[in-house]
Amino acid sequence: MSSLSSVPPFASDAARAQFAVARGPAFWRSLEELADSEAFLDWLRQQHPQFAAELTVDRRRFLKFLGASLALAGATACSRPPQGEIVPYVHSPLGQVDGLPRFFATTLVRNGYARGVLVESHMGRPTKVEGNPQHAASLGATDIFAQAAVLQLWDPDRSQTLMRRADAASRDDFAAALLQHIARFNRTGGAGLHVLTGTLTSPTLSAQLDAFLKKYPQARWHVHQPAGNANVYEGARLAFGTPQSTRLHLDRAKVIVSLEADFLSDAAAGVRYARDYVATRSPENALGAISRLYVLESTPSVTGGMADHRLPLESARMAHFAQLLAQRLGVAIDVAGAPDAQQARWLDAIVAALRANRGASLIAIGASQPPWLHGLGHVLNSALDNAGKTIDYSAPVEKLPGAGGTLVDLAGAMRAGSVDTLLILDCNPAYDAPADLHFADALRRVPHVVHLALYRDETGALAEWHLPMAHQLEAWSDARAYDGTVSIAQPLIAPLYAGLSVHEVLAMLLEDDVRDPRALVRRQWRELLTDDAAWNSALQSGVIENTALPAIALPVRAGFLAQATPSSLADASLEMLFRPDPTVGDGSWSNNGWLQELPKPLTQLTWDNPALISPQLAAQQGLSNGDVVELHLEGRTLRVPVWVMPGQAARSVTLHLGYGRRRAGRVGDGQGFDAYALRASPAEWNASGLELRKTGERYELAGTQHHFSVEGRDLLRVGTVAEYRRDPHFATAGDRYPGTAPSLYPDYPPSEYAWGMSIDLNACIGCKACTIACQAENNIPVVGKDQVLRGREMHWIRVDRYYDGAADNPRAYSQPVPCMMCEHAPCEVVCPVGATVHDAEGLNVQVYNRCVGTRFCSNNCPYKVRRFNFLKYTEDGATFAAQRNPEVTVRRRGVMEKCTYCIQRIETAHIEADKANRRIRDGEVLTACQAACPTQAIRFGDIADVHSSVAQAKSSPRAYVMLGELNTRPRTSYLARLRNPNPALADEST
Amino acid sequence: MSAVLGDAASPALLARGQTHATVTAAISAISLHRRFGRYWLAGFAIALALCLLLVFGTGWLLHRGVGIWGINMPVAWAFAICNYVWWIGIGMGGTFISGALYLARKDWRSSINRYAEAMTVFAVAVSGIFPILHLGRPWFFYWLFPYPDVMNVWPQWRSSLEWDFFAIVAYLTVSILYWYVGMIPDLATLRDRAPTLGVARFYGLLALGWRGEARQWRRFETLSLLLAGLAVPLVFSVHSMVALDFSEALVPGWHSTVFPPFFVAGALFSGFAMVLVLGIPMRRMLGLRDYITDVHLANLAKVLLAAGLVVAYGYCTEIFSAFYSMDRFELAVTLRRMTGAYAWTFWGTILCNVLSIQLLWSARVRRNHAALFVIALLVLIGMWLERFMLIVTSLYQDFVPSSWGMYYPTFWDIAFLAGSLGLFLLMFLLFVRLLPVVSIFELRKLVHKGEVKST
Repeated sequence: MSSLSSVPPFASDAARAQFAVARGPAFWRSLEELADSEAFLDWLRQQHPQFAAELTVDRRRFLKFLGASLALAGATACSRPPQGEIVPYVHSPLGQVDGLPRFFATTLVRNGYARGVLVESHMGRPTKVEGNPQHAASLGATDIFAQAAVLQLWDPDRSQTLMRRADAASRDDFAAALLQHIARFNRTGGAGLHVLTGTLTSPTLSAQLDAFLKKYPQARWHVHQPAGNANVYEGARLAFGTPQSTRLHLDRAKVIVSLEADFLSDAAAGVRYARDYVATRSPENALGAISRLYVLESTPSVTGGMADHRLPLESARMAHFAQLLAQRLGVAIDVAGAPDAQQARWLDAIVAALRANRGASLIAIGASQPPWLHGLGHVLNSALDNAGKTIDYSAPVEKLPGAGGTLVDLAGAMRAGSVDTLLILDCNPAYDAPADLHFADALRRVPHVVHLALYRDETGALAEWHLPMAHQLEAWSDARAYDGTVSIAQPLIAPLYAGLSVHEVLAMLLEDDVRDPRALVRRQWRELLTDDAAWNSALQSGVIENTALPAIALPVRAGFLAQATPSSLADASLEMLFRPDPTVGDGSWSNNGWLQELPKPLTQLTWDNPALISPQLAAQQGLSNGDVVELHLEGRTLRVPVWVMPGQAARSVTLHLGYGRRRAGRVGDGQGFDAYALRASPAEWNASGLELRKTGERYELAGTQHHFSVEGRDLLRVGTVAEYRRDPHFATAGDRYPGTAPSLYPDYPPSEYAWGMSIDLNACIGCKACTIACQAENNIPVVGKDQVLRGREMHWIRVDRYYDGAADNPRAYSQPVPCMMCEHAPCEVVCPVGATVHDAEGLNVQVYNRCVGTRFCSNNCPYKVRRFNFLKYTEDGATFAAQRNPEVTVRRRGVMEKCTYCIQRIETAHIEADKANRRIRDGEVLTACQAACPTQAIRFGDIADVHSSVAQAKSSPRAYVMLGELNTRPRTSYLARLRNPNPALADEST
Repeated sequence: MSAVLGDAASPALLARGQTHATVTAAISAISLHRRFGRYWLAGFAIALALCLLLVFGTGWLLHRGVGIWGINMPVAWAFAICNYVWWIGIGMGGTFISGALYLARKDWRSSINRYAEAMTVFAVAVSGIFPILHLGRPWFFYWLFPYPDVMNVWPQWRSSLEWDFFAIVAYLTVSILYWYVGMIPDLATLRDRAPTLGVARFYGLLALGWRGEARQWRRFETLSLLLAGLAVPLVFSVHSMVALDFSEALVPGWHSTVFPPFFVAGALFSGFAMVLVLGIPMRRMLGLRDYITDVHLANLAKVLLAAGLVVAYGYCTEIFSAFYSMDRFELAVTLRRMTGAYAWTFWGTILCNVLSIQLLWSARVRRNHAALFVIALLVLIGMWLERFMLIVTSLYQDFVPSSWGMYYPTFWDIAFLAGSLGLFLLMFLLFVRLLPVVSIFELRKLVHKGEVKST
């Protein structure tokens, strides 16, 4: 902080030093001590307005801002009028109509892979992310991370200042320092220069890296992705000789066997895979074509929840099962040990099914499994004639580092003292490196560390130079989707905090004439997008046509199997599994309130990462939810609470990564437990030899659902394909009052539209994209862990999870529950002030400014979809409003709120239709939940129009309404779930 | 039961040797000359402290929001509504004694109706603060009132909360009127006997120029009769409306036609319990044994027993109808009340409200004041638990299991309950000190009746 020299004398040296330590607890404490002094505050406001803005905000209030998150704390820097001439719009920018949102196609990257999105922008403010229908990995839908990206953009905890050690510096300072290094590296060929990145697929960045390695032949490039695809590529290398990308074609598979492959929540292609998978499950198509999914997994996953048959099996025992399977399928392989009785029956059933469906079956291996098992998977798929049909291969989508390009190699070089300058580009190894590398210590020994990231995180605090990175929505770039399709990322907004893009930093290092990231990307594609028209068209559609990597047919070589050393697990010992957290990933999303408070798809927990243990282990050790245990793994220990996970393999203990952050920001700091402290580099996914000791302490875990049995109530209706075949109307066969029961109240007069919704439980995978999309669209506040503990979460659409069957391997079901928009709404009758009323088109609307907050409506709602602002969950400050949807009211304290069917979108469609003097077309209104849903489980529209897709869905024989006997006449109805169990495994619990 | 049914002016209603003069002197001395000692001061200090807690809590509530309580989704109503129903139920005791027994010409009401009515007014006033503070935005409570809004917005008349609002306001108004009007002749007596001019002015203002003329007495009697006639139906309507706040909903455990009569019985039950709890120590401390006699207490105990039996019948009916309907949700709530996480409230209710009162069948217990006091106290506790059980156990696990959730009170939940007790106690202690706790003129009537009878 160069201008600290101008700190007036009243700030003592000690205080100045503390201040200079920058963010983190000490920072706040010292500032609070300083805060008494008005003069200091004035100085701070003038010199560093971004800090002054944060100064007044503690964590509690901070969460309130998160309601529509914080936004613009840096931009509040502009509390004084901008210096220089300001000019209002005289001529509007082209295409800009004030007050109307615009959508831009761009690309969001997760774990290096592109997901095409359309971003809604209000007057230059990105507010909402939708999927890009033209993009192969999206098809119009998104996952939860894409939705949360917009909150990350406005996160004021993002790094806002270029720092050299503890002082603020300018970009010129950095450029000057870098030039000196470059001069040195030009002489030495880059000896001692190392670059560390995460997984990357960006062609522009790849080209830059190639140029970099060419310019500095002695330099090294390393890749570190805490939950990446290293095993997958290595497995392909074993089987094919070269590393290849693997792509699944689930829509072509009739029998799918997953060995711990959670393809429905795959970081790169989960959204697409979910769509493809669900397409094979619709009884509205040919019944005989319904696929059957077998999942063997150690820890329950979204994919396991959709399985027709699920077998809990310790991760370390997966290899043995795969060998047995291979043997039965005729692959020459040595297997030690015989299957147990249950495994034997599974093998019989699976082998028969796979044999019967050659070319239409698929064996999928999870990224957590060792490379040779991936290789075996390729061998089996090839033997079953699936290669090229349900699974195919292409040149690597990821840019793979050469030999010596791992984090382990880097840590070795650092310890050896051979690293002089380390560029860490958008990753955080000081937090997420395996504990055995002691990366943070090694990092302190590196003379020059440059860190480019969104946050000044654990790594940034140790770096000599920390450069704020431009957010994905602020920077030009490009990236490949899981199938290789290239899409360009275009910025929606100028960098809020003068962030740099990765391309800019590499261009500086390369002494490239072109420094502008847009020009760099444009240059990369000059051959394919030759003129402006082609370039603009690629930007507009969000994809560059015909850039998917072609499938290549490769012969498999099974020779590697002879050297394979399958892991195993002694009967009494426990295995430790490390998995990315379902909502905060590997930790890079820890400071995102939406993701923190999104109930984890499997546990419905928020804000924490307990160790998941099996019911058997819990019974044996006398543990229950929230008991704190001490985990011992190879001398490393961690104290965590446990969560008894139905369906967890008996000897497996799962810990999710991404928690226990120390410098994530005000939202993420100190939440949960740092699993990396237990993780070691040779066993990144699974480790054996875990010991677990009960401590007798308790820890409070904040879940949004406490009861997972449906209590025999027919809220969620499920049948098998066989039942459906016998009676397609099985779902409503047991209804006490079939059809519409009589009522004393007259029906509402018919109106122009009758809005309704249909939710297909057969398509819902329980990913929760709907919940977070709704939160983004409708300005739903984040309330914090203590309020979740009190049962006050605010989500308008929740995804209920129910279990059925024995706790050690239950069937799992998901049910999204938005407002039912009852025609005879119980909430409307009991409100004394008429704050919740029926509109002409059948919507049950909540009038916020009329609500006095009796909460009788919520008591009387049988579906409990109403949410109440018990406290002031959203702060009023105008500067924090940048993310908020301007078309949705921000609710005050003391009023009730609930799902509106996205009435603002209906109104927008009304206006458009009225202007054109036509009716609203079917599909013109997409609710936020519907748009985000990867599997199109949610349909919405005019139910009075028999041709509308929602009316068609509601005419399905599987259609039913929840609690129909109450005669509330819900407009939201469900389609019953269908399972397709194999008769040969009929007596299995799943 | 003869005393309850009431032969005119049974001598046991008044100690022997009481004359017009002794009655007047004894009662008026309490307000005019008695020095209130340590106990009163200690009680006043405690009540004031609790009251301050309520004031501070209210400030905090307005500042922070109802989230300072433990309410949540699904249990959006809890302590505040329990307190409201409990206090308003207690209010019924006074109106029933002074109104219904007046209409039925029961003389034994004469010496207890004044403090019972005061209890009613204070209890209803205390209960009235809860529905307002319970609102998410209490400052808009007047939106329930059908004032001529320029935007033509009216209340929603199908909601029982709306009618409940009117019922409370009407009940409170009539209770205050009835209580005050009934006090006017006594206030005039105090005015006339005041030791100083200041005191005389104080009571004189309150006495509204009462001179005791025959014409005034005639109008007074007419008005009393009219107000009693108004108040009695109002107690039934107000408790029925309170019941409809619940039974209008389709929540299993609330949606029940038995609620209105059941709530009326419950209110009578808790009202008489409170009359006993206040009366027993009061008669002892203020030396009112001559006026509030064993007969009064025994009569109160008998009514308590009778009301309790009706309440117990209500419990049985509720359980019976759940099983008779075989509605799975009703059944689940009924069973969970007995076995679930809050089962202690159900069994506590049964113990306090059904079992403890069975002792009152014994005449010995009815004459034992300590036992009566304890039983009445248990009934008050039981009635509060009953409301908690009715409200919370119906809400915490209703239709959709995914939304089930527990309710835990916070410090502020308890503070508001304690504070409301403090406010009630404060008002009652001031009443005891400043106003005639026993109706002087009615006692004189009783003396007169006794004289007539003995001649």
